[in-house]
Amino acid sequence: MTSAVVSPRVRSGEWFMLYALSIMAALVFSAALVEATGGDWHPVVNALLDGSLRRPGRWGETLGTAAPMLLVATGTIISSKAGLINIGQEGQLFVGAAFATYFGFLLGGPGPLNVILILVFGSIGGALWAGVAAGLKFWRNVPEVLSTLLLVTVAGQLVAYGLSKPWLLLAPLADRGNRNQVSVQLAEDNRLPRPEIFGNEIPLAVVLGIVLAIVVSFALSRTVWGFKLRMLGRNPRAAQRSGVAQTRYGASALMLSGAFAGLAGAAMLAGGGFAFGNYQLVPGFSTSIGWTGLLVALVAREKALVAIPVAFVFAGLRTGSSFVGATGVEGRITDVIQGFLVLALLVPPALMFLRDRRRARAAATERV
Amino acid sequence: MISGFFQAVVDIASSESTYINGALFAAFLAFAASGEWVAERAGTLNISVEGMLLGGAFTSAIGYDITESVLIGLFAGVLGGLIIAGVQAEMSHRLSADQFVVGLTLNILVFGLAGFLDNELEPATKLAGRWNIPLLSDIPLVGQALFGQRWPFYVLYALIPFTWWLVFRTRWGLELRSVGENPQSADVSGIDVNKRRRQSIYYAGATSGLGGAFLVFGQVGLFEDSIVGGRGFIAIAAVIFGGWTLRGTIAGCVIFAGALSFRLSIQGLGYEVNSELLQSLPFLVTLFGMALFAHRVRAPGALAQPFVRGLK
Amino acid sequence: MTAGSPDQSRTGSAEPVPAVIFHNITKTYGAVTACGGIDLEIHRGRIHGILGENGAGKSTLMKMLIGLVLPDHGSIRIDGDVQQIQSPLTAASLGIGMVHQHFSLIDALTVWENVSLGEAGKIDPAGVRSRIGDIADHYGLLIDPYARVSDLAAGLRQRVEIIKCLRRDPNIVIFDEPTSVLTPEESHQLFVSLRQVVASENRAVVLVSHKLDEVLHATDDITIMRQGRVVDRLSASSTDAPTLARSMVGREVSLRSERAALGVLDTTAAGSQTSSKRTRGEAPVLRIRNASATGPGGVTLLDDLSLDVHAGQIVGIAGVEGNGQRELGDVLSSLLSLDHGSVHVGDTYVPSGKSGAMARAGVGVIPEDRHDSGLVLDMSVAENLILVDQSLVSRRGIIDATALHELAAAMIEEFDIHCSGPDAPMWSLSGGNQQRVVLARELSQEPTVLVAAQPTRGLDVGAIEYMGERLKAAAAAGVGVLLISSELEEILDLAERIVVMHSGSIVGEMPRHKADLERLGLLMGGIKV
Repeated sequence: MTSAVVSPRVRSGEWFMLYALSIMAALVFSAALVEATGGDWHPVVNALLDGSLRRPGRWGETLGTAAPMLLVATGTIISSKAGLINIGQEGQLFVGAAFATYFGFLLGGPGPLNVILILVFGSIGGALWAGVAAGLKFWRNVPEVLSTLLLVTVAGQLVAYGLSKPWLLLAPLADRGNRNQVSVQLAEDNRLPRPEIFGNEIPLAVVLGIVLAIVVSFALSRTVWGFKLRMLGRNPRAAQRSGVAQTRYGASALMLSGAFAGLAGAAMLAGGGFAFGNYQLVPGFSTSIGWTGLLVALVAREKALVAIPVAFVFAGLRTGSSFVGATGVEGRITDVIQGFLVLALLVPPALMFLRDRRRARAAATERV
Repeated sequence: MISGFFQAVVDIASSESTYINGALFAAFLAFAASGEWVAERAGTLNISVEGMLLGGAFTSAIGYDITESVLIGLFAGVLGGLIIAGVQAEMSHRLSADQFVVGLTLNILVFGLAGFLDNELEPATKLAGRWNIPLLSDIPLVGQALFGQRWPFYVLYALIPFTWWLVFRTRWGLELRSVGENPQSADVSGIDVNKRRRQSIYYAGATSGLGGAFLVFGQVGLFEDSIVGGRGFIAIAAVIFGGWTLRGTIAGCVIFAGALSFRLSIQGLGYEVNSELLQSLPFLVTLFGMALFAHRVRAPGALAQPFVRGLK
Repeated sequence: MTAGSPDQSRTGSAEPVPAVIFHNITKTYGAVTACGGIDLEIHRGRIHGILGENGAGKSTLMKMLIGLVLPDHGSIRIDGDVQQIQSPLTAASLGIGMVHQHFSLIDALTVWENVSLGEAGKIDPAGVRSRIGDIADHYGLLIDPYARVSDLAAGLRQRVEIIKCLRRDPNIVIFDEPTSVLTPEESHQLFVSLRQVVASENRAVVLVSHKLDEVLHATDDITIMRQGRVVDRLSASSTDAPTLARSMVGREVSLRSERAALGVLDTTAAGSQTSSKRTRGEAPVLRIRNASATGPGGVTLLDDLSLDVHAGQIVGIAGVEGNGQRELGDVLSSLLSLDHGSVHVGDTYVPSGKSGAMARAGVGVIPEDRHDSGLVLDMSVAENLILVDQSLVSRRGIIDATALHELAAAMIEEFDIHCSGPDAPMWSLSGGNQQRVVLARELSQEPTVLVAAQPTRGLDVGAIEYMGERLKAAAAAGVGVLLISSELEEILDLAERIVVMHSGSIVGEMPRHKADLERLGLLMGGIKV
């Protein structure tokens, strides 16, 4: 995935203007769509704000939704820096959640240690799933952009299978309630704590997400490992010469990004509360968190620190959308808003990249 | 039990409906895949096929809703595909935005839009008339499947040879292939690389839009947002599976359609075969196919590499 | 030095309209003036040579003629009429054609498809094929229209380029550095064809080159460009090599660099090597034995190649580009695996193709294409300086930014790298400075063996001189230097032992003081002597 090289000569004012205009355009488009189909955009905006921030407990909910998105985004950034295109986070997340569920109620030990193990197993699950794509790429030259993608559906089917077998993930008949495929609910002491701050429940996953984003950002820019990874992403041949084997570093970067997605899945399970299935695994559990996390990474231009606020915005759209239905406008409008927003956000860097590259090429080596 | 299973397989293989369903599915994939083949031969990796199919399906339904004409509906489908292609082409190959981001976002966007607008507008559609070609449709087993379908199906019989002719017998096609193999050389020879790439994506949009319309009028008879259900990605896989040849791509469509059709049939016969395994079979077969063949075939030299002049 | 006016080159009294008139042509890229106020006339029936070193502006000027670049100021007249040449198609319609330096062919397509490329209108396979036949007969450029370009050798590929150009029946034909991939024999053949083109059909031919010898012997009128300006106009028959050299470089050059700039294949003048004074180690520091490698499709890249390099010695591999030099460089950069054979650095066996193994074993490389494996353009100068080994600036896996800065600043100073600082992005440096970064990094690793592949390509005379000095210094310090170059003069200038590479193996060798040009030429052409 290309990311632009920013010339220091570009004024930040220009950037701000371009971004502001693009976001404006996206929002105007969305509002126009609402109006054109008989709705009214003003209540929609209010509903979004209410649902994501204003009503009691909502911004905690938004933070809680942002956490797995941020984790997925951070992982995506790692594989992107290594030059690999991972678009299978949705599947890796799901497999991670399934691993977490399995080991969660299999082990059932005392509280805090178990919670950590659940998260660890979730990461392992995600890493293994991404590992399938890594193996296919490095042994059989299958482009990872497609293998990770195809594995998403396979992941869904795999977990659904697990949820149909009592010896895997399916809860005993008595605990199923009125649902066919559902796992046992995680025991109380196996859940991530959700401390209450200012009247909002904030799962600890939020802290985890932010800390990891900071750590990864540091690691990528200031450690030898990060340096090697970036070298691999920018110039694999120079990397090969310098001892950065594409198979080893590339595969591990891909698996690491899968691990982050799996961790997100485990965090959703163990800390999600009602928003994420109430500590139980169900089909469709991932609810597009994986896809959104991927988009967060792309919109944040592969900067982990920028991903933090971006994840919050995307999460806000999601939590806000549940309030939109009450205004009479179809809740799906938020998918549309999200789509327009991402497209709009792609325009400024694209324009700048083109202009930059033209200037750079001209100034540097045009001597012949 | 095993013998019963084999009996079931034989039953399926000797049942006409297997082939009819298979042909419908294969045709749907082929509409999308033939356009995607053109796009990939030009060096683009267009993953918004899903969005193009769904967009085309939706606009075709709207077109029919307004005019009560299936023919207009088909044209509307093409138009829908072209609109999606427009965003993909202009953003990726004029503005140099990342083609994967644009593609993925379009898929989500179209899904949201189609669902949203479907609820607001609720277009009503119907199935197109069936045309049984005399004599040919009486061939045992496959006759109905190939020559006894609803009329939008037959558009494919013209589309595939036309696509082949376009790429191998016209100057446009020659330039398209050169752009996909070596855009730097093509550029130096005076060819506008990104223009050809955009055009190839528009072509993919047109055929995929047509494919979406085919789905509505030729198979399902109505529109709902789940009508495509992720199968656009199988079309992409078919192109790779086919080694970037048109013949191979169509073969891929037939094989994958066969796999999915088999799933429906075997379940229809009441066999408790692992449902999840069967549903993921097409994707597994695709993965397997790629693993076995991807390293042996020649992809277009510049596949998925964006081109900006002056950028080596 | 004669600063001739255009009139002096014309012979006839009837003054036909020049085919091309450049008037006050200017092109700048940011702060760099590629062309500044160029006035130039090119006449029909004559071969016009444009001479200048790398960076003089000649290619940019020709790109404007062919429509790939638009001038900022000035005008271009074709046959007397002012024209705006917007694109290669426009140029083609004006009768201007160019045979490119780096080929513009598409490997996967056939010869006739490539020749057809870039035109308008329906494709006419039969028509194209018969036209190719006509051109082949007329100019002696035989080729099989059905052959796939990927299967052709460099000389044949150039033929396709020429045919592609001549097919459009151009009045003005530009050859941009045409002999860089040809053997002496093929070059000779090319110039014979050029004469044909010009003499019998009253076309105008422009030959862009940095090789004095070539320009002197193959052209009628010579224009010399330096740093974006025309500095001299001469007639080939009334000048000589030293005059051209002085004009081209613009200052008194040392005997050594004059030779490098001359492009003169004259070994008798080159006697100043004092190789005998250099100490030589006993055992070779680099020992390659029976190296063989094949590429996709079974193409032989390296064929049973054996080579020794001793400490403190500069071994020069001469040969026309495309005979395995790049592949040899790749093997020594751990980028290519050998099918058979071995590489030893000192006594240690080094596995080929294993990431980083060569570098760790002490093999430094200045690659043929620095953008390919030598640099990461999007990283900073400082980061490129630690590309291969980060241990000096890191502690427990974390890079110390201050240490990195200091190290980079020191190297920038020592190697005189012109850039805005250690944090400058690599892409903002000029070619010569980028090459210095590569050199700095490789030398700072204190290598046992230093491979310099086409190290002065794209560099100006000053940078070429600098590189030569550095390579000699390295050898003097005991490094075994392997110089791979398609510029024979460079080899003759620096190497004490010359080997010739052809078709992936070493076909002959000779010590410098016994260098026999004729034998070298034959070996380079693949004839075993």
